[in-house]
Amino acid sequence: MKTLKLILFICITSFYTNSVAQDVLIEAESFVDKGGWVVDPQFVEQMGSPYLMAHGMGVPVENAITNVNFKEKGKYHVWARTKNWAPGNWDAPGQFKISVNGKVLKNTLGLTSGWTWEYAGKVNIESNEVEIQLSDLTGFNGRCDAIYFSQSKKMPTEAETNLASWRKAKLGETTIPEQQKSYDLVIVGGGLAGCAAAISAAEQGLNVALIHDRPVLGGNASDEIRVHTLGIYGKFERILKMIDTEHYPNGSYKAKYDQERRDKNVKSYKNIDLFLDWRAYDAISENNAIKYVDARNTATGERIRFKAPRFVDSTGDGWIGFWAGAEFSYGRESSKTYGEAWDKWGELWSPEEGDDFVMGASVLWQNEKTNEVHDFPELPWAADVAKEHKAIAGEWQWEFSRNDLHQIDDAEEIRDHMLRAIYGSFANAKKLDENKNYKLEWVSYLVGKRESRRLIGDYIYTFNDVKNLTKFEDAVVEEKRAVDVHYQINLKDSEEPDFLSEALFYKGPKYYIPYRSLYSKNISNLFMAGRNFSCSHIGLGGPRVMLTTGQMGAAVGIAAAICEKYNVTPREVYTKHLQEYLEVIEKQQ
Amino acid sequence: MTNEWKDISKDEFIFEFESLDTVYHTQISHQVRLLSNSAGAPRLFFSEIETPVCADGVCQLAHINVYWDLLGNYVGYGISPEFQLTKFEHEQFGKEDYIKLHQLLLDDNSILKRRKVSDLIDEAPVATSTIDSEVIDGISGATKTEIAESLVKGGLYSCYTIWHLVHGEAQEKMEKYLTSISSDTLMHYFLYAPYNDYQMFALRELPKEDFKEHATQILNIFRTADGVGKAYILKKIPSDILSEKEITSQFYNEFSLIDVNSRTLLINRLKSAHPDAIEILSNYLDRMTRNQLKLYLKCLNSDPNFISKNCLSNLKKASKNTGFTYHYLLREFLNKI
Ligand SMILES: Cc1cc2nc3c(=O)[nH]c(=O)nc-3n(C[C@H](O)[C@H](O)[C@H](O)COP(=O)(O)OP(=O)(O)OC[C@H]3O[C@@H](n4cnc5c(N)ncnc54)[C@H](O)[C@@H]3O)c2cc1C
Repeated sequence: MKTLKLILFICITSFYTNSVAQDVLIEAESFVDKGGWVVDPQFVEQMGSPYLMAHGMGVPVENAITNVNFKEKGKYHVWARTKNWAPGNWDAPGQFKISVNGKVLKNTLGLTSGWTWEYAGKVNIESNEVEIQLSDLTGFNGRCDAIYFSQSKKMPTEAETNLASWRKAKLGETTIPEQQKSYDLVIVGGGLAGCAAAISAAEQGLNVALIHDRPVLGGNASDEIRVHTLGIYGKFERILKMIDTEHYPNGSYKAKYDQERRDKNVKSYKNIDLFLDWRAYDAISENNAIKYVDARNTATGERIRFKAPRFVDSTGDGWIGFWAGAEFSYGRESSKTYGEAWDKWGELWSPEEGDDFVMGASVLWQNEKTNEVHDFPELPWAADVAKEHKAIAGEWQWEFSRNDLHQIDDAEEIRDHMLRAIYGSFANAKKLDENKNYKLEWVSYLVGKRESRRLIGDYIYTFNDVKNLTKFEDAVVEEKRAVDVHYQINLKDSEEPDFLSEALFYKGPKYYIPYRSLYSKNISNLFMAGRNFSCSHIGLGGPRVMLTTGQMGAAVGIAAAICEKYNVTPREVYTKHLQEYLEVIEKQQ
Repeated sequence: MTNEWKDISKDEFIFEFESLDTVYHTQISHQVRLLSNSAGAPRLFFSEIETPVCADGVCQLAHINVYWDLLGNYVGYGISPEFQLTKFEHEQFGKEDYIKLHQLLLDDNSILKRRKVSDLIDEAPVATSTIDSEVIDGISGATKTEIAESLVKGGLYSCYTIWHLVHGEAQEKMEKYLTSISSDTLMHYFLYAPYNDYQMFALRELPKEDFKEHATQILNIFRTADGVGKAYILKKIPSDILSEKEITSQFYNEFSLIDVNSRTLLINRLKSAHPDAIEILSNYLDRMTRNQLKLYLKCLNSDPNFISKNCLSNLKKASKNTGFTYHYLLREFLNKI
């Protein structure tokens, strides 16, 4: 096994004691052999780094193993940055141990609330080559962000230092990534919108980078989340058919067939450089234009700076816009802001006073009926959320949102709440004799999001554009699917679990989305496609489905080519080259 | 609605509405009547409906008397013994079937709204991505079951036809009609009636300056309303009323009894409440979510005077309660002050 190169050995001199202590920081996600642990990069912005998670659905996963080079032999204290993800008066669900050169360290980990350093134990390092293993004890989502070996007994509390800069210092990271790459267009986020943007731009001759933080493409449509694509193809049937999905039920294992086709099709374009497992972490702008996007490999920590005259934000969460300083909105506007009230549904549809409620996020899951009996444990830490609710499978209604939880900042808590709902409801169902042969076949660990930041463009798309059938002169996306927005059913009936939702519909004929909703109002070289396009909360209700967001991506890819041809901004495609742009789109069919 | 039925003494025709006969595709007219009580106050809408329904190809006539409240919400129906509803092959509805029909009609967001009757009898799996699918987030096995479960078995046509009659054009006309008869007396009745929909309607119409006069009733409504209603009240109640000592005390003492979203709103409104609210909430620290606690502590941070002796002692107590998941946040907070 290769020794991990990234691990740096650093001497830190303490001001107070003048003594020298040796330390080594190991990012768990960079373990060479991950065993059954998975890399979770979803919450990097909140907790500082991707982490390793033991997602065994109740069965302890294989050990993760890595080898590390120690320069200094001697006695070390070992800490792991971890957390008890469901704290309460019960045994923590995600417990694990660390072993060093075959010796299991004394303390069990994963027991403390909130991300923090837990002490694993002491170890004597007698060789330079050191093998470290993470042993999962429960199969229920134990997590390890980093491991820290120190000759000092002092706990590396992040309260004392700023965690991000502490980390940077320990890993010897420079501010600017050493590697740089230039493209005609850099697209971040490989959901359907990002994939369609990459294909259409590449077909127009642009050299494209597509940066995506997962090993497979498709975002919510991927085999990892398993939502099927709805909506119409508009003018982009050929492109969207390369990446869409069939209509098996949400969560079906058959998603993998579409996954293979999608990945193969995107990879077949020579001028698309695909950066899978790379997560963008910053966008640097000057004079309201983005100059670079910086990204990091989710496992190795390697970094690249991406340069381009134009960028597409298809991250769903509007990250690129957010970092670059683009105007954005979040939450529900007051019904008066855009005149979106619908009396029949009142506050459930659009509130008199704006608030932070949004459509929630989901974790899909499926079971398998087998010929044998399968046991499933009782889980007090899950029962707390699931209560009496029984279920043997999940569907889109398994959705969670609460007005004190932000869909981005609190996404980990939201995901964990859903895991408790799933495991708890399944445990309840398993108590019934009729379910004894059911086995949990698949639970996603990725949180499928519907709504978060929406970047503001020259035009903000609203419900009125659906109702009034506004046919914009710059209409580039069209859709027929009914508009629906969701609310948590426990808002109407407090007896209901808090993780189920209901949809309210508005059905009209075809509606159109203007090009002006697909580029930023104040960042002059930023496009957006996907659920982070420029719209109101209710405006998002229809177009958020994935063929519609795919149309947005395809439209943006073509606009980027026009920008390149005339060296103009996205806005100038509208003000100066609209006719030509629309003609190119028309030819797509 | 239990009492409204008892005291009806006036019955007047007010408008007609039309429904599309699903079999012959002709329009049928129905009359809607307004029922008022002995004092002449309007109480219910009513319609005696006759419509053909096709029990899987065999056409029958359904007779059903439907009642709506004054907002146009379906509240109940009646069937006369000689005109029982029928299902497949003329079999009569049983007791369970009538109950199921009532449940179905109560669901104003039923999936039937978005489906053509022909979609429901289609045995083949529906919808590819090219079809204009109206099912949100997907057509799936679960959705099919959802439809089947909400219908009376063998009574698809009756259910479908009656649901659309009850939730169609008639309701829109009732809404309009209500506007034409709206009055202070009616709104007063709504505000004090024991029905959530009426109360919420009245609250929406209530000018902010009248909140004070009805503060007691608004608090009553707050206690019994669902999460949506509670949120509405907490957002709308004017600051000068909420800040009154007595009102603050009544609202904030509900903290542990109400839903989690309303709790967030109470914390959000701390700034416009009487300062007592801070101390009241310090009794419920262990009921707060992580973010609620953070919001609360932020408020304490904004002015050290907020931290009364009692409040401090509650903070300390909760910080030592290891059964409280977020006690560590309190410890960090106390270390800093
Ligand atoms: C349970 C559920 C059911 C739904 N049902 C349907 C349905 O039936 N049909 C339908 O069409 N739609 C459905 N939707 C809605 C739809 O899935 C979303 O609105 C849609 O996926 C949005 O597409 P997107 O490309 O904008 O974002 P996403 O699909 O979220 O893709 C964005 C991608 O960007 C990646 N990313 C984010 N940040 C970064 C970064 N910094 N660096 C690199 N990569 C990054 C993410 O990993 C993600 O994969 C459903 C959603 C959910 C959650």
